[in-house]
Amino acid sequence: MKAVVDRDLTRRSLLQALVATIAALPMGWTEIAVGAAAASVLSAAEAADVEAVAAQIIPSDDTPGAREAGVVSFIDRALATFLSQLAGDYRAQLAAFQAAFRERQPGVASFASLASAQQIAYLRTVDDTPFFEATRLLTVLGMFSQPTYGGNRNGAGWKLLGFEDRHFFQPPFGHYDRGYPGFVIEPAKIQ
Amino acid sequence: MSGQVYRESETVDFVIVGAGASGGVIARELAQAGLSVVLLEQGPRFGAAQFTHDELKDWYLGGITNDAVRNPQTFRNDPGKKAELQKFKPALWYGRAVGGGSLHYTANFWRFREIDFIERSVLGAIPGTGFADWPITYADLEPYYTKVEWEIGVSGLAGASPFDPPRSKPYPMPPLPVKSSGVLLERGARKLGLHPIPAPLAINSQSYRGRPACIHCGFCHGFACEVGAKASTLTTVIPEAEATGRCEVRPESYVFRIETDAQGRATGVTYFDRNRQEHFQKARGVVVCGNGAETPRLLLMSATARSPHGLANSSGLVGKYLMFNYSSRALGVFEHELNEYKSVQVTRIVHDFYDADPRRGHYGGGGLDARIGPQPITWAIRTATEGPSWGSGYKARLQEFARSMQIAGHGTSLAVESNSVTLDPDVKDAWGLPAIRVTYKDHPDDLANARFLQDRGAEILEAAGALRVTKAPVTEQTFSMHLLGTCRMGNHPATSVVDRYHRSHDVPNLFVCDGSSLVTSGRGQPTMTIQALAFRAGEHIARFAKRGEI
Repeated sequence: MKAVVDRDLTRRSLLQALVATIAALPMGWTEIAVGAAAASVLSAAEAADVEAVAAQIIPSDDTPGAREAGVVSFIDRALATFLSQLAGDYRAQLAAFQAAFRERQPGVASFASLASAQQIAYLRTVDDTPFFEATRLLTVLGMFSQPTYGGNRNGAGWKLLGFEDRHFFQPPFGHYDRGYPGFVIEPAKIQ
Repeated sequence: MSGQVYRESETVDFVIVGAGASGGVIARELAQAGLSVVLLEQGPRFGAAQFTHDELKDWYLGGITNDAVRNPQTFRNDPGKKAELQKFKPALWYGRAVGGGSLHYTANFWRFREIDFIERSVLGAIPGTGFADWPITYADLEPYYTKVEWEIGVSGLAGASPFDPPRSKPYPMPPLPVKSSGVLLERGARKLGLHPIPAPLAINSQSYRGRPACIHCGFCHGFACEVGAKASTLTTVIPEAEATGRCEVRPESYVFRIETDAQGRATGVTYFDRNRQEHFQKARGVVVCGNGAETPRLLLMSATARSPHGLANSSGLVGKYLMFNYSSRALGVFEHELNEYKSVQVTRIVHDFYDADPRRGHYGGGGLDARIGPQPITWAIRTATEGPSWGSGYKARLQEFARSMQIAGHGTSLAVESNSVTLDPDVKDAWGLPAIRVTYKDHPDDLANARFLQDRGAEILEAAGALRVTKAPVTEQTFSMHLLGTCRMGNHPATSVVDRYHRSHDVPNLFVCDGSSLVTSGRGQPTMTIQALAFRAGEHIARFAKRGEI
């Protein structure tokens, strides 16, 4: 079934189009994610800027962030495969982001080449745009989805959360249920 | 699978529309009573190999539910407005596969209480609403609640709750092991003089009826259980129905009309197969078990010259009195790890606020449960709405994942006639059929009640020692998975769609039994009551059929 792709970007946010496209996919498509390791739509310059934006959405500090988790690989592969209907719109919005940047920062090679503090300051001025919102959602998906999709490299996103990727667990599950003595039925005082 | 296959031209005893929580139960009851049954389901039939822990696929790529593009819906909060197309998420979300909602539910399984069936008599009318008593009481349904617990499989502790209604048998299995969220709920609740109790769940705490115990993987809500520990009709009653040799399950069979004859009796149903070919299955009786959205839609689409406002709709109430429940949330962060992503979603509940109390200044009550703080992707999306949405502040909040829990408040929704499911006049689905149009606006008491329950949950988190408590804003709902009330039961044809045995007042061989049957919303967790109603309906329909009364 065709997804609804809105070519009029002034009337509907890219984010909504992204989520609509995601919602339209039928069940049996996992082969796309697994088999498309080499699929790519972003040019080197596009990928560098997307990676730099993602790296400010979930920054690297004493723990890995979006860059180490390979979020840009997730985004690139997603746009080449299961989000391919959105790729044209997203790249157009990205081009607009880059053009606006060049206008406001003449002499600076690219957003990616800017120092971190200045990137943050710049993003604060564009963080309500459809491009930024879509990149924010894609970054989250790329950070915390299964590594077979190209992001969450070596489970870096899950490690950040303290999420243990295991198929089954046994009690105790956490700190507070350790040593739990069992449920005690209180004598009924009211009815 | 039994391999039983009926020809469409063969008049089976019953065709059942919808192989979900209700349809699966009724199929088994009728087939075990010796009747021939065809069970039709819109969606596919999945197997365990297709059930994964892939949060991106199952939560965000529409794995086992309806989606906004093939099954579009429109929404408005006022009948005077034009409903708008829901572009990214349908307003009414349901399981669209064999097993229905029982595939992806949380499996919280608490019974309704005595008050739920007689609340109107006890509290009086609420002007501007369809607040009404049920045509049955808790005592009528109790044997069937027990049947659900023992035949579907529910783990819990009888006698734990001072509020529990009478029960004829204990639970067949003890409660699942407590989680940190449950211990903290107990601690906080007891400090406040409340009565926390183990949560009954339709999840095996030990091997039961050929299905294994829970492996505590954490992927219950929104996911199908690949080991079969979480009960679904796919793994319980439907195989039992097929084992009789009298029940055929036909997935990817999208029923769009119930056919009737010149006398106004149902003759069978017309449906699309997976290749969009039309078929007509003949039957002596029809049982509609879609869900609170698809069931009224089917009746409305089955309008004829004789019943121009929809089949079985002389009352005008098909599609009306749509109720959602309201689930509000309080989030707590603690000093040490809880790891709520492990194991079942809920292990402890509080029912001290279940009953309505006029002194609160609003109608309503509910149950509180201590639960997971969701899984990674949903956690990350939700965290962005409760503080900074990007940058180091956001990352710091993300890292509270393992130390977080929620207390969810599950409350009442009043029956408001303008809240409804109707056919959209313009939008069509991918098969060319009219889309569902949803009109919904929470009654002010529903919102007041949601805030009341949320405040009680926040108090418990504080009493339990939370470092920080956050309350998600209570706003008017535009989305629900609890689809209730739209073909209500009742004794009088003018004010209800089906009678106390789920038989249509208008069409003697047409029955409706699913979430649409509920007269009041209860306090969340409707699936257990839907399945109890289904066991009761199945028993009586079989009895009527064998006595020649259909």
